[in-house]
Formats: sequence, structure tokens, C-alpha cells
Amino acid sequence: MNFLTLVGMELRKTRRCGIGYILLAATVILWVPSILHIDLNFGMEAEGISPEHNFFIQGFLAMTWFLFPASMVAGCVLLGQTERTNRGILRMLTLPVDTVRLCLAKFAVLLVLAAVQILMMTGMYYISALIGSEIRDYNFVLPFWFVAGQTGGLFLSSIPMIAFFWMLSVWIRTPIFSIGLGLASIVPSVLVINTKLWFAYPMAYPLFVVTAQYGRLAANLDTAQVEWVPWIPVAVAVTAACLGIACYRFGREERI
Amino acid sequence: MRGIVLEWKKEKRTGILPAFLGGGILAGAVPLANMAFRSEMYLKQYTPWMQVSRTPFAILLDANWQMMAMLNMLLVVTGACLLYHTEYADNGLQKMRTLPLWEGTCFLGKTVLLFFLSLLLLAIEAGAIAFCAGHWFEGAMEGISAWLELGLYFGYAFLRMVPCILLSLLVAEACRNMWISLGIGVLCLFTATLLPAQVMSSGKIQFLAFFPFAMPFRMTTDMEGILENVAGGMWDLYAAAIWAAVLVLAGWLYRKGRRAWA
Repeated sequence: MNFLTLVGMELRKTRRCGIGYILLAATVILWVPSILHIDLNFGMEAEGISPEHNFFIQGFLAMTWFLFPASMVAGCVLLGQTERTNRGILRMLTLPVDTVRLCLAKFAVLLVLAAVQILMMTGMYYISALIGSEIRDYNFVLPFWFVAGQTGGLFLSSIPMIAFFWMLSVWIRTPIFSIGLGLASIVPSVLVINTKLWFAYPMAYPLFVVTAQYGRLAANLDTAQVEWVPWIPVAVAVTAACLGIACYRFGREERI
Repeated sequence: MRGIVLEWKKEKRTGILPAFLGGGILAGAVPLANMAFRSEMYLKQYTPWMQVSRTPFAILLDANWQMMAMLNMLLVVTGACLLYHTEYADNGLQKMRTLPLWEGTCFLGKTVLLFFLSLLLLAIEAGAIAFCAGHWFEGAMEGISAWLELGLYFGYAFLRMVPCILLSLLVAEACRNMWISLGIGVLCLFTATLLPAQVMSSGKIQFLAFFPFAMPFRMTTDMEGILENVAGGMWDLYAAAIWAAVLVLAGWLYRKGRRAWA
């Protein structure tokens, strides 16, 4: 079967799952306080960042430190559990479909979920920036290409993290350990981004990218910047290893 | 009692006990790591020869409690999701309902079980704090009063967690799919982290401080404050009691309603 057909099929399975509402609610909850506290954006002389940039970056920092990774853990649960009830996965495994491709198709759906959340986040950012501009009579809206570049970078940097979560949920069959490990691994990322070894910890990549951007936008704030050389090879290796393990383990438990 | 034993038997092989033990050790490692790597930062806050010195517990808990509370909450949410997931996964709840048992038994049993697990979690963390205080701050753990003080702080921390435990269980009971209950839990937790302390004390939206998921992030480190109710030291306790009553009632009504309509 064509890989795209498989992905489309997996996407259709998630149609009535209701995760979209949760992702949407998350973005609304995220931006409402930003609009309420829009005045805070004007008191950032110490950091030397302009109000519109501060508005943008604070929202994305709040998202990447906990909400986005945790939503991805919930997404992994979704993909792992939808077919557990009534043993749908057994039927899938009896089809003449390569399990590796099936696993990768499910991972692609996870990436789609991540993209949907980032898109919702961006859309909600524009809405709240417009509202904020109305309230304060100051232009908070940033140019489209800047925002697109930022969110695109965020998405790309989150792929290794998502691969890691996916590996956890496939490999560890006891739900509490896969969820617990995934959620617990998010918490130390705040500490990890301040160390030299941040590139070894995939869960910290999105937060690191946004923090680095914060440092670039704020004149008086120095944050660690992206060093491509150790990062890209490590990220690629981590993604490949996680996906490899996930594909190897996928459906193995059911076949015994 | 029978309900609790029943629930415990169900959860034996889900790995919830090792998960809570592991979570407790991880949370306990936070203050240990903090003290091991940068103890001088915290030790210089400790000046017993001055009148306004902070107690070792206050220093340790102020530095580490946010992260420990976050780990506790994540475990509680995951645990609650899992406790009901085992029921929904193979239609166990339907079978439970055919038994000659009061329907609330299941909820009650799971609540008590999660209470015990949370107490275990907090006990491990209190042990870690006690070790840090005893090892790095001289004379901090001498005498029984220090242990009583620590017990009081963590007992209060447990009472703050009660509404959150009940609400997580209620959400998990209402949602058939685990990702929905997990998503709602994550969302509530995220909302709680968005409520910074200065917003909550600024007056207008102070009631948000009593959002069930925001309460466990607070830690009182002032024994006189709790005992003599200085500056509303007992407010969280009253709020926890009210929440518990409201949530238990809401659960009861929900079960009534579900039976009537389903």
C-alpha cells in the first residue's frame, strides 16, 4: 500500500478522537493571560526587547516549556490506545501491510498533530496580537515571514523529541511508565538548556530554540545560541535510533 | 474497606506502585542534586546567628518545591488516568456495575488508593528534605521538633493535593478515552503554571489561587503561620475542604445522571 494512503487511513482513524478540542483549548488558555497582561510587554527596557517581539516570544516560551511536549505525550497515548480497544490493532497486523510502514505512518500522524497544534498556536497568536493592538493602540502584529520562520523552526526542532516519545509509547507497553517517563522527562529541560550538553537531550530542543531566539531579539540578554555542528548530527542520530527501535518493537507484542 | 482491597488487587500489575516509588525518588533527587551541585548558594542564606535567619526547611523547600510539586502533579494525573483506564480498556466498569455493589465504591476505593500513593510520594520527598537538612545544615534535624515541623509542612502539602486528586479521578471517570483525561489534566496543570504568584496576590483574580491544580504548588514554610493562622495560613485548608465536598457531591450527581440517561 502507498505510504500516503496509510497516513491518510491513520488520520481518518483519529477523526472522532476529540484531541483537536484539547489542543484548541490549550492555545486559548495560553493566549488569554497574554492579552490580559499586555501592559507588561512595555516594561522590558532592561532586556532591550521590543513589545511586539516580547509578546510573541513569551507566548511561545510558555508553550514550548511544558504544554507542547505534554500534548505530544497525550498524542502518543491517543495513537497507542485507539486501536487497543476491541483489538483493532490485531486486524491491522493481519493485513498485508509492512509493520514498519504502519509504525512510520502513525508517527507521521503524530507529526501532523504537532503541526496542527503549532498552526493553531500561530493563528491564535495573530488573533490575540490584533486584539492587543486594538487595546493598546500599538502594532503588535509581526510580519508573516518572521512568524512562519519561527514556527517552522520550532516544528523541525521538535521532531527528535516526538520520535523519542513515540519510541517510549511503542516500546514500553505499561501505559503508566511510558506516560510517566514522557511527562517526567519534560520537567528537567528547563535545567538542561542552561548546560553545555543541551544537544544531548531531545526534549529540550524546542525550548532551546525559542530561548535562543529570545536572546537574539533582546539586546541585553545573552542566551546560548544554536551550534549546528554537534546538534544536527546528534538530532538526526537520536531521531533515527528512536524510530528504529519503535519500528522494530511495533506489533511485536501482539505477534507472540 | 472491601472496595479498597478490590481496587488494590486490580492495580497490582499495572505498575502504579513502582511508578509512584520511582517518581518519589526522582522528586527526592531534586533537592539532593541541588545541594550536591550548588550547596554554597543555599548555605549562605542560612545565618542562624542573625535574628532574621531563614530555617533550613524554608531554604530547601523554596528552592525545590516548584519542581517537586510539578512531578507530584504529573504522577497524580497519570495515576488517576491509569486507574480508570484499566476499567475502560476491557469494559471492566460495565462488569463492575452489574455487581451488587454501590457504584461509588469504585470511586471511593480508587480515591483512597491514590491518597495512600500520594502520601507515600510525599513521605519519600520529606525524607529527602530531612536528609538534605541534616547533612548540609548543621543541627537542623536535631530533636523531635524538627521532624514534627517537617511532618506538619508535608501534611499540609498533602491536604492541598486532595482537591487535585479528586478532580483528576472525576475527569478520568467521565472520559472513556485516556488521552482525553490526560489532555485535560495536562491542560489544567498548564493553566496552574500560568498563574504566577504576583497575579494571584494582586486582588482582582485572587480566587484563581484556589484552582485545585494551583494549590499544590504552594508550600508553607512557617509553622507559626499555619498554627496561628497568620495572614490566612489556613485558607488553603478551608478551600481544600470545600473543594473535596463539592467534588464528591459532583461525582455522586454525575453517577446518578449517567445512570438516568445512559
